[in-house]
Amino acid sequence: MAKKKASDFTLMIATILLVFIGIIMVFSSSYPEAYYKLKDGYYFLKRQLMYSLLGVFVMIFFMNFDYWRLNKLSKLIYLGCIVLAFLIFTPLGTEYHGARRWINLGFTTFQPSEAIKLGSIIYFASYLTKKDRDIKNFKKGVIPSLIIIGFSCILILIQRDLSTSVTLGATLVAILFIAGIKLWQLFLMGAAGVAGIAAAIFSEKYRMERFIAFFDPFKYKDTVGWQVVQSLYALGSGGIFGLGLGKSRQKFFYIPEPYNDFIFSIIGEELGFVGCVTVIILFLLIIWRGIRIALNSRDLFACLLASGITSLITVQSLIHIAVVTSSAPTTGIPLPFVSYGGTALLVFMSAIGILLNISRYTELDRS
Amino acid sequence: MPSPTISTKKRLIAMLLIVSIFVLGLTIRLGYIQIVKGEELKKEALEQWTRDIPVKAKRGTIYDRKGKKLAISISTNTVWCRPADIENPKETAKIVANILEMDENEVLEKLTKKQSVVRVKMWIDKEKADALRKENLKGIEIVDDNKRYYPFGNFASYILGHTNIDQVGQYGVEKTYNKYLTGTPGRWIKTADAVGRQLPYENEKFYEPENGLNLVLTIDETIQHFAEKAALEALVKNKAKKVSIIVMEPKTGDILAMASKPDYDPNNPREPLNEKLKEEWAKLPVNEQIKKWYDMWRNFPINDSYEPGSTFKIITAAAGLEEGVVTPTSQFYCDGFITSVEGARLKCWRYYNPHGSETFVEGVQNSCNEVFVAVGQRLGKENMLKYIKGFGFGEKTGIDLTGEQSGIIPRSADSMREVNLATISYGQGIAVTPIQLITAISAVANGGKLMEPRIVKELIDQDGNIIEKFKPEVRRKVISEETSKTLLKILETVVSTGTGKKAYVPGYRVGGKTGTAQKVINGRYADGKYIASFVAIAPVNDPKIAVLAVIDEPSNGEYYGGRIAAPVAGQVVKETLSYLDVEPQFTEEEKEKFNEKNVVVPDVRNKTLREAGRILLRLGLDYNTETLNVEKDSVVIDQFPLPGTKVNKDSLVELYVKTKRKESNEIVVPNLTGKSRQEVIKILNKLNLRFNFKGEGKAVSQTPKPGTKVDFNALVKVEFDRIDQ
Repeated sequence: MAKKKASDFTLMIATILLVFIGIIMVFSSSYPEAYYKLKDGYYFLKRQLMYSLLGVFVMIFFMNFDYWRLNKLSKLIYLGCIVLAFLIFTPLGTEYHGARRWINLGFTTFQPSEAIKLGSIIYFASYLTKKDRDIKNFKKGVIPSLIIIGFSCILILIQRDLSTSVTLGATLVAILFIAGIKLWQLFLMGAAGVAGIAAAIFSEKYRMERFIAFFDPFKYKDTVGWQVVQSLYALGSGGIFGLGLGKSRQKFFYIPEPYNDFIFSIIGEELGFVGCVTVIILFLLIIWRGIRIALNSRDLFACLLASGITSLITVQSLIHIAVVTSSAPTTGIPLPFVSYGGTALLVFMSAIGILLNISRYTELDRS
Repeated sequence: MPSPTISTKKRLIAMLLIVSIFVLGLTIRLGYIQIVKGEELKKEALEQWTRDIPVKAKRGTIYDRKGKKLAISISTNTVWCRPADIENPKETAKIVANILEMDENEVLEKLTKKQSVVRVKMWIDKEKADALRKENLKGIEIVDDNKRYYPFGNFASYILGHTNIDQVGQYGVEKTYNKYLTGTPGRWIKTADAVGRQLPYENEKFYEPENGLNLVLTIDETIQHFAEKAALEALVKNKAKKVSIIVMEPKTGDILAMASKPDYDPNNPREPLNEKLKEEWAKLPVNEQIKKWYDMWRNFPINDSYEPGSTFKIITAAAGLEEGVVTPTSQFYCDGFITSVEGARLKCWRYYNPHGSETFVEGVQNSCNEVFVAVGQRLGKENMLKYIKGFGFGEKTGIDLTGEQSGIIPRSADSMREVNLATISYGQGIAVTPIQLITAISAVANGGKLMEPRIVKELIDQDGNIIEKFKPEVRRKVISEETSKTLLKILETVVSTGTGKKAYVPGYRVGGKTGTAQKVINGRYADGKYIASFVAIAPVNDPKIAVLAVIDEPSNGEYYGGRIAAPVAGQVVKETLSYLDVEPQFTEEEKEKFNEKNVVVPDVRNKTLREAGRILLRLGLDYNTETLNVEKDSVVIDQFPLPGTKVNKDSLVELYVKTKRKESNEIVVPNLTGKSRQEVIKILNKLNLRFNFKGEGKAVSQTPKPGTKVDFNALVKVEFDRIDQ
């Protein structure tokens, strides 16, 4: 193998900056809830800090963990993910807010769906690398790929988590696109995907309500439109420069769990449009560097893995911002690196570690 | 290991482009929300963060002209709730209902309403407020509030009016001056989180309410008391439907008193004062109740017009004197019948005993219709109408009270027939409001200036600074000083020697005129229903007051203004003048009489009614018991005036006795034919029957017929052989 280079510095800085913003914003937005409900205003800050620190170590670990080993380990990783998915249905599974999505490890909880996302990307990238020549072949390439995508999504869907499932599905399809699937097949899949999502929406009453509320959230302000309206209020009252760090009003129980699926609206309220654009630019930087790494990677596995990770970050951050700005129906997607959540943070930091590792083996930078 | 192809790289760049477009789109959307729609959203957000609690301004006090408080605002507490903030509605409702002595379900209903704030109970006392505060219930707020309070109850209620539950004036000066009395409410703005806790940011604001201005009325509380007392007495004594008394200062047009009985208590404007009525009303359907309320709130002196009768002759006399068609010494002859008017048989009220030859002054003293018809004819329709209009009849006086009527006068001189001119000359065929009449009479008294009746003197602020002063306003000059003086002198003789004798007040020079008119109901003269009135001006050498007493539908036998209304006006004049420190000028003869007339009321409490009556009669006092079912051995439990009070001889002492209700209320109507008026009164009073007389002399017919069984307090109509006007 070639000589190791320095990893992508821009990517690392952008990531660390986002994590840093995340720590501050999680602290600011979680304080009221932590203070009134848990009697400890620093509860979420402490955990986020701890996981961020751990995340940095994990990132550094994967930065130095040669990525082709992941190719070899991919099957094992995927198997691990399947086991994790089913652990939820054992007594270890814990319920929170009516959803059974966590595994209780005693000292902390773990969210398998986060790990499944990365595990599936690694396995799929490895699978497509192996089936490189069959990708244009419908029977040999596309059908098995679809089975893998479907299965991965089902692993998350059984936890009744449609939005994460859609995120993963979109990410895996993006990998398939990069891998060279025929475009008409892609469009067919896209159509099927939309139909599937539509079916999912129509089959659940609360999804249907949210979907209807999306077209006129203010009409449903007191019911299903509440969160979106509150999010818009937060963004609106932030204006260009924001109310100032820590001065959000909407975090005081107007927006439920503001440190999670709606953290971007609190950023908008406290730091204004300027703060929001800063965060968007940081994400754009990560996406740009990720794609650049994929472009310059020297083997297909690295390329697909890098595009997969980048896609995941892209899809998830875009959906989060879209929901918060009422550009998409309300759904619970945390903002990568920024939202509160230990498992998510560790998984994303690992992913960035992997990207950084790949970047060390890219061909010479032409610029 | 395979390496990425060119196609892969192309697709990667395509992906970057697509993502960039998405990101750009979202950024634009974000900018639209934060910058373009920012202000709008911020406003809405602000609305949900802020809890804006209105702080009521204190409604201004209403004072009489001497600074006595007639209507005040007192601080109380009102309980509100925020249904969204209530954690356990059932339990909260139980506690709240318990403290406020309310129905639990009713409270629960309020606590679970889909409203941001709901009023639970208004005006609770301090103890309850404290008890509720102690409970510290979430979502329940106790706010300082004001309540309108009229310390004297049913006193001057038609002038003051009343407010509704939100302290908005509905009637009287409370309504006409509502704008000034209300003030500007303040606000208490605090920011709160979604659970109702206050936010830790320092942006709480308190805007002080601006209290309402105070009103100083022209009413004098003491004079108003005289008027109210006199009106009530007249109401009871004459079993009248209504009695109104207005006292005006002629020079300014200031209303010193305006009383109407029966009245209501503005503290409880929807409850009649009479217990019996209260029960009756409670059974009525709501719309009927509302009708009754409106009737109760009607301010007769301003809202109703009546046929003034002879009191209007003052206007005819003023016009005649001013136009020079008559002088005090002009000669007239009354033969009982007015033959000069075509197509009508008019007669003088004393046609059966005509006045014969008389001067104009005597004609006024006698209230002789023939004289006034002659004056009217000499004036002619044009001139008569000119003065009717000149004195303000047919138009509103502009008094600052609600619902003023303008009365009914001929539309034009052309529309007047000869007979109209003749009857209007003595006050019939025209409708005036009491306020119009007193204002016109005041113009006669003050040298000819028609004033705008004034009820509010000035507006003052909390520190007593005058904000706005309402000056007396002269509407126009109607007659000359000279005419005024001449007429006053004539009117004085009406009281000293004529039909107004009963209004005579020893030591004071009082001028006045009686009036008796049959009531017009639905355009026709109503049988046996009269309005007796009297206007007085005193003292005539320098008029300080003009008094109008109007007794509507007296039903105790007497109905002549000279007999029943004159003493009422006289009493008010006397009390008011001595209160105003107008020095009485007694003649020697009067002084002697006065001392003789004064009697100290004895203590007759705890005596039987028979004993009490004997004692009072011996002293030359009259007595009266309010209830009708009394027996001679009933015990007097209280009396009014109280023992030791100095009163005139012939004064009425009210006795309150314990009563035993009769088992049966059935009364057999006796035969009254051939009996004299006095006898009939005696018999019917004994039987506790009400009566209504027509004519004088011996009884000739009666309804119901003798032997009919009637209820206690039923009405018996008796006609006598001499029917006159």
